[in-house]
Amino acid sequence: MSAVRGRDLRKSYGRIVAVDGIDFDVPVAACFGFLGPNGAGKTTTMKMIYGLAAVDGGELTVLGLDVSTERRAVKARLGVVPQEQNLDRELTVRENLAVQALYHGLPEDGRIDELLEFALLSARADSRPGQLSGGMKRRLLIARALVNNPELVVLDEPTTGLDPQSRLAVWELLARLREEGVTLIVTTHYMEEAQRICDRLVIMDEGRIVAEGAPPELLERYEEDTLEGVFLQITGHSLRE
Amino acid sequence: MTAADYVPSLPGATRVWRRDLRVFSKVWKGALLPQFFDPLFYLLAMGFGLGTYLATVNGIPYKQFVGPGLMASAVMWAATFETTWNIFFKMEETRLYDAVLTTPVEVQDLVLGEMFWAATRAVIYGTVFTTVVTLFGLVDSPWAVLAPLFLMLGGACFAMLGLTFTSLIKTMDWYSFYYTLFITPLFLFSGIFYPLDKLPDWVSVIAWFTPLYHLVEITRGLVLGPDALSVVGNAAWLTVVTAALFLIPVRAFRRRLVA
Repeated sequence: MSAVRGRDLRKSYGRIVAVDGIDFDVPVAACFGFLGPNGAGKTTTMKMIYGLAAVDGGELTVLGLDVSTERRAVKARLGVVPQEQNLDRELTVRENLAVQALYHGLPEDGRIDELLEFALLSARADSRPGQLSGGMKRRLLIARALVNNPELVVLDEPTTGLDPQSRLAVWELLARLREEGVTLIVTTHYMEEAQRICDRLVIMDEGRIVAEGAPPELLERYEEDTLEGVFLQITGHSLRE
Repeated sequence: MTAADYVPSLPGATRVWRRDLRVFSKVWKGALLPQFFDPLFYLLAMGFGLGTYLATVNGIPYKQFVGPGLMASAVMWAATFETTWNIFFKMEETRLYDAVLTTPVEVQDLVLGEMFWAATRAVIYGTVFTTVVTLFGLVDSPWAVLAPLFLMLGGACFAMLGLTFTSLIKTMDWYSFYYTLFITPLFLFSGIFYPLDKLPDWVSVIAWFTPLYHLVEITRGLVLGPDALSVVGNAAWLTVVTAALFLIPVRAFRRRLVA
C-alpha cells in the first residue's frame, strides 16, 4: 500500500488551474520529493494532502483514508511543516509543543522534552518564537509536526531561506526521521536538495507531473549530470523563470 | 460543504478554548485592568455624577438604574474586542489557524471554541464589574448571583456577532464601521442610560431587534428583582440568535482558510 495515492488529482482557483490531473504514489517509509519552480502546483498538492485545500476532482487517499471524507482521522496521523512560519507567537517554544499536543488530544508528557532535544532547542525552551533565528524556527516547526508521532510528515520547502548550516541541520533531522521509518514528502525548488535527500521524486511544471523516478534513474534516462539539467531538458525552461 | 462540516466536536472546541485560556493566564493582569476601568468611569460619571441631579428613573435611583446596564455593556465590549481584532490577527497576521487546522481540529470547532473563549473573557470582565456594582450597594435582589450565567449567554451572542462580521470582511478597516455603526449605537440606545418606554413606539421596536437591549433587561431584572418570564424570554432571544448565526462564520471561515 502507498502512504499517499493520487489519481487524476485536480484543483483550480477560479480560472487558474493549480493542479491539472496528476497521478502519483508515495511509497511507505520513503522520502518522496515534489520538485518544480514556484507556481508549479507543489504547495497546492501538499495542502490537499493535509486538508487545507479541498480536492476538486480525482482521488486522493492518505494512509489508506479518503481525505475528502475522513479529514480528522487523516490529520491525527500526519505532521505538517508549512512553508509559512505560523508558530504561536504568544507562547514559548515549549508551550508551542504542549499546545500542539493539546490540539491532538494527547497528554503533555516526556515526549515534549525529547522533541526539544531532537530539534536542538532544549536551551531555548522558554524563548518566544520571535526571539529565535530562522533556522531555529524551522526546527521548531519540524518538532511541532512530530508531537503526534506521525506516520507521514509533509514538509513544504523546509529549507527555503535558510543559511547552509541551518539547511544541513534540517537535513540531519530528516535523515533521523527516515531511520525511524517515517514517510516524508518534501517539496523543494533546490535540485541539489532533492538529489541529496529524496529516494524518489516527481518533477512538476504548470500543474502537471512531467517526470518521475529515483534521482539516479532520471539522470541516466535523460543523460544529464544534474536534476537541473533534467528539468531544463523536459520543460525547455530553467527552474528560476 | 457537507452537513458534517457544520457539526462541531466538543473536545475540539474545548482544545481551542484551552489554548486561549493558557495565553490569557499569562497576561491577565495587564489585560483585565484597562477594560475594567471603562465601565467603572461610566458608573462614576453617569451614575454618581449625573445621578446627583437626576434622582430617580421610573422610581429607581439613577445610579442603580445605570449600574446593571453597564454590566451588560462590559460584556458586549469584551466579547466584541476578542472576536474582532484578536481573531482577525490570529487569522491573517500570525496565520495561527492555518497551523491549528492541520491538527484534528476543524473549522467548526474553531468557531465554537473561540465563541466560548470570548464569552468566558466577557464573563470575567462582567463579573468583576458586577462585584463593583455590589460593593457600591446597588444590588437589591439575591437573584444577582445568577448574573454570570446570563452574562455568559450575552457574551456568546456578541462573540457570534463579532465572529460573523470578522469571517466576512477582507480587511481590518471594516471594523471602524462595525464599532461606529453597530456597537457604539447599541451602547447608547439600548436602555442603559435612560428607559425606552417614554419614547415613541418605533424606538422600542428597533431596540427589540438588538442584542444589548435584551441583555440589559436581564441584568437589570436580576439586580433589582426579576420577573422570571421576562428573563426567560430575553435569554431565549439571545440563545436563538447565537445559534442561528453559527452557520455563517463556519461557512465563511472554511472558504477563507480551506480554499
